[in-house]
Amino acid sequence: MEMALLYIAGALMMGLGAVGAAVGIGILGGKFLEGAARQPELIPLLRTQFFIVMGLVDAVPMIGVGLGLYVLFAVA
Amino acid sequence: MRKGHRKPGVHTRIALQQFRKVFLIQVVSLVIIAGVLLLHSLSAAWSSLCGGLIFLLPGYVFVYRALVVQQTKSTPGAVIRQLYTSEIWKMGLSIALFIAVFILIQPLNPFSLFGTYIWLQLTGFIAQLRLNNSFLKL
Repeated sequence: MEMALLYIAGALMMGLGAVGAAVGIGILGGKFLEGAARQPELIPLLRTQFFIVMGLVDAVPMIGVGLGLYVLFAVA
Repeated sequence: MRKGHRKPGVHTRIALQQFRKVFLIQVVSLVIIAGVLLLHSLSAAWSSLCGGLIFLLPGYVFVYRALVVQQTKSTPGAVIRQLYTSEIWKMGLSIALFIAVFILIQPLNPFSLFGTYIWLQLTGFIAQLRLNNSFLKL
């Protein structure tokens, strides 16, 4: 029973982290495409801003993924 | 210049310079944290070093694939494809390194590993926001 709960906990951590990252990066990509369609001359600037914000968006979900992997591989 | 590569533009060069500064700050803080934890125990220092490398290596690969390897076309679709591919590589590499550390490194101190990982994330946030003035205007 405890093992099953640990696996569920790890799966929830990784799954919810993946959902957060997917929503954030999806919105980011959509906004980039909107901006590029409106002002194509700004694509190089938007690209670097996209790159910077992408690095910030995926940081917190990766902590959740790391904790989930720790539960799955080291605790369970 | 290799085939399929072109010279990076002004914005890319600025972003690369900022990344180099942030990366240097993170490496220095990782060395300091590992040195301080070495006074506590060897496993804590080793775990913090592993946590730092798990953060820094995928980040470096992400920047290399996203900014250094320039595509010949800079259409919005090509840019999105390149950045998403780089992100997938970063996430995959992070997961592989986490799994490798949890399986191969024994004994492991999870608090120093995740503490260093989270600290480097925060350092990156703060340094990136301070270096990038356009975010401060928001």
